[in-house]
Amino acid sequence: MPRYFLSLRHRPGVNGLAVDHEGDELTDETLVRAHALHVARQMITQDRLAIIRDWKECSFEITDEAGQHVMTVPFTEVVLNEGDG
Amino acid sequence: MSQPQQSTVRNRLLKALSRDDFALLQPHLELISTELKQTLIAPNEPVRQLFFPESGYCSLATQASGTGKVEAGIIGREGGIGATPVLLGADRTPHHCFIQAAGEMLAIDTPAMCAAFDRSPSLRKVLLRFVQVQFVEAVHTAFVNARYQTEVRLARWILMSHDRGDSDELAMTHDFVSMMLGVQRTSATIAIQALEGNRLIKAQRGRLTVLDRKGLEALADDSYGMPRLSMPA
Repeated sequence: MPRYFLSLRHRPGVNGLAVDHEGDELTDETLVRAHALHVARQMITQDRLAIIRDWKECSFEITDEAGQHVMTVPFTEVVLNEGDG
Repeated sequence: MSQPQQSTVRNRLLKALSRDDFALLQPHLELISTELKQTLIAPNEPVRQLFFPESGYCSLATQASGTGKVEAGIIGREGGIGATPVLLGADRTPHHCFIQAAGEMLAIDTPAMCAAFDRSPSLRKVLLRFVQVQFVEAVHTAFVNARYQTEVRLARWILMSHDRGDSDELAMTHDFVSMMLGVQRTSATIAIQALEGNRLIKAQRGRLTVLDRKGLEALADDSYGMPRLSMPA
């Protein structure tokens, strides 16, 4: 199964990219997008990080095993339900 | 194999016992080697043995249905694994105890340990003191999880692991860190990068190296100091 790497862009510049070296095994790019949105939603609603000023500025920059860019998934695409933090 | 001698054991609970109490346990103690991720106590299954770490340490994790495990404590050579349920009269625990850093432990079968508890109030007292330390630490972990952001919790957790190891290098993937802190792996990566940016740690594939312990303590602040004071000397 192909492995995709979800690096997080949280601000401009080299220090603003949290590089994913471990990756996730996912069958295809439709699932990659769904997984990225799921993780983003979990992060927005549950995780607290001092360095993140605004989740709306964050996006996943997703690459494949060859290091090629696959897609960018902005956190603004996450749909929050009523009651989500 | 020769029996362990109290003068050479490194486990602080076994060291703290009176000579007579150690002699009660001595014939039953067996030195075993542990491997990374090895289960010592499985959730909701009878506790067959207790373990006193000589080197390396284990995680105590709790699991809710449908979500991953979250770590609730770390036990190294300051303590005994399985002491809490057995001493408090339970034959099992919902928690999963597994090795986080490989090493050696002195194992003792539960019936032998219970027989020694029944014979010696002073042995019970030393181990109950550790149960109290573990309880204080677990409550403090709940406080820290409610109050502090991921970067601080990571600093605290690295310090707690560093306290129990013999090296500045800790073998751990971001995936493992995320499980221990109960956050997404990406959040663990961001927190690791933040600590690395402040030159507190160095991160390489599958391991973290402590560079500035004082700096980690300053970042962890109140989240780290208090339970440490309650540990036996």
